Amino acid sequence: MIARFAVSLTIPDNAAYTALVALRHLGVDVDRIERSDLFEFEGSFDVGELESTIRTIETIFNPNKHRLELRPGAEPLPGEVWIGERDEPVATSSRVTVAGRILAGVQSLRRASAWRLFSGGRTADSATVGHAVDSLLCNTAFQRALYDSRTSTDAAHA
Amino acid sequence: MKVGVLVFPGTNSEDETVRAVQAAGVVAHLVHWSTDPAAAGDFDAYILPGGFAYEDRIRAGAVAAHDKLMDVVIAGAQAGKLVLGICNGAQVLLETGLVPGTGPIRRPSAAFAPNAAGGRFRSVRVYARPVGDRARSPFLAALSGEPITMWASHGDGRLVASAVELQAIESGDHIAFVYTDERGRATDAAIPNGSALGVAGLINARGNVLALMPHPERDSWVFQHRDGPEKLAAMNDTQAMLAPSGGSEIFTAFARALGATSAAR
Repeated sequence: MIARFAVSLTIPDNAAYTALVALRHLGVDVDRIERSDLFEFEGSFDVGELESTIRTIETIFNPNKHRLELRPGAEPLPGEVWIGERDEPVATSSRVTVAGRILAGVQSLRRASAWRLFSGGRTADSATVGHAVDSLLCNTAFQRALYDSRTSTDAAHA
Repeated sequence: MKVGVLVFPGTNSEDETVRAVQAAGVVAHLVHWSTDPAAAGDFDAYILPGGFAYEDRIRAGAVAAHDKLMDVVIAGAQAGKLVLGICNGAQVLLETGLVPGTGPIRRPSAAFAPNAAGGRFRSVRVYARPVGDRARSPFLAALSGEPITMWASHGDGRLVASAVELQAIESGDHIAFVYTDERGRATDAAIPNGSALGVAGLINARGNVLALMPHPERDSWVFQHRDGPEKLAAMNDTQAMLAPSGGSEIFTAFARALGATSAAR
């Protein structure tokens, strides 16, 4: 099974604000950005137990400033792009560890950053997300961007 | 002649860099991100020092590459001015596309990405030596060619690019430095970060823009060494402590190249 968790800040997100200012500077029509760290776990595990474990790993989740959500879908939300390393070494083992903690039943782990863009009070359309991806959010030399049911940058490295 | 040492929010190696440049006999000034770009153009060369420009938000070097000061640096580089990026400055140069320079500006074709082994930060003294025909760059031509000691101190120093781009980097003589052992042999063990082709530094085709991942300014004087025989022997001897160390050769070469390029421009 696969379970995706998103960790986002409940306090002001300076990185998201910087991205907002930079994207506006680059002419991208965006008025708000939400950012979260995505963790995709694969293996045979109890999702509730895994979530409980994650909540105790302070390098991932600090209850004083983070929100932890289980992401049900396999695709980004509307207006959202997932940026991950193209050739990220996927942790594959019978004993995947995070910050020294063994995650029972987890056989692989991938990470990504999720950026959700809003424009005109609504989630940004695909063209706006694509503009943000191309101009700043993704370095196609080592990253891939997944949004709107597409992996936008594969063509550049085909 | 004077060198502008750029400071972005989060840069942290500017003072050592200025001192190392000045020790090589060249005037250096800090150029903060709030500087009027028109005034920032009044330098003969630029150095982008190490640190975490804009806190490496989004990814290392990404935001700084779009700072208005970088418009000045890009214009200067295109006019033939010398530009040296060290560590985070090197990451910025790759994000601008100035190095390796095989694609359009601000469309990076390569990156210094998170280190192998999960992006773990490493701080270790390394050797790197210039490779290829050094005559292709005034900067490289001013080096002895011997391995130079520097400090690799980064979490994102692994050169990555597509196979096609790596081939272009190799065939285009864009590899300026590779990690080596102390005898100058390029070995896997000498690479601190999993960098493709063992690359420690890249240079553009014109030879005036160098992106160097390890820090020469952190190994420019004996007093910067870790405790060991050389440093212990220099204890209680101010002159010996202030003696130049390996990384100073980078700044000496930079000063020589600056003289050569300024005379040519």
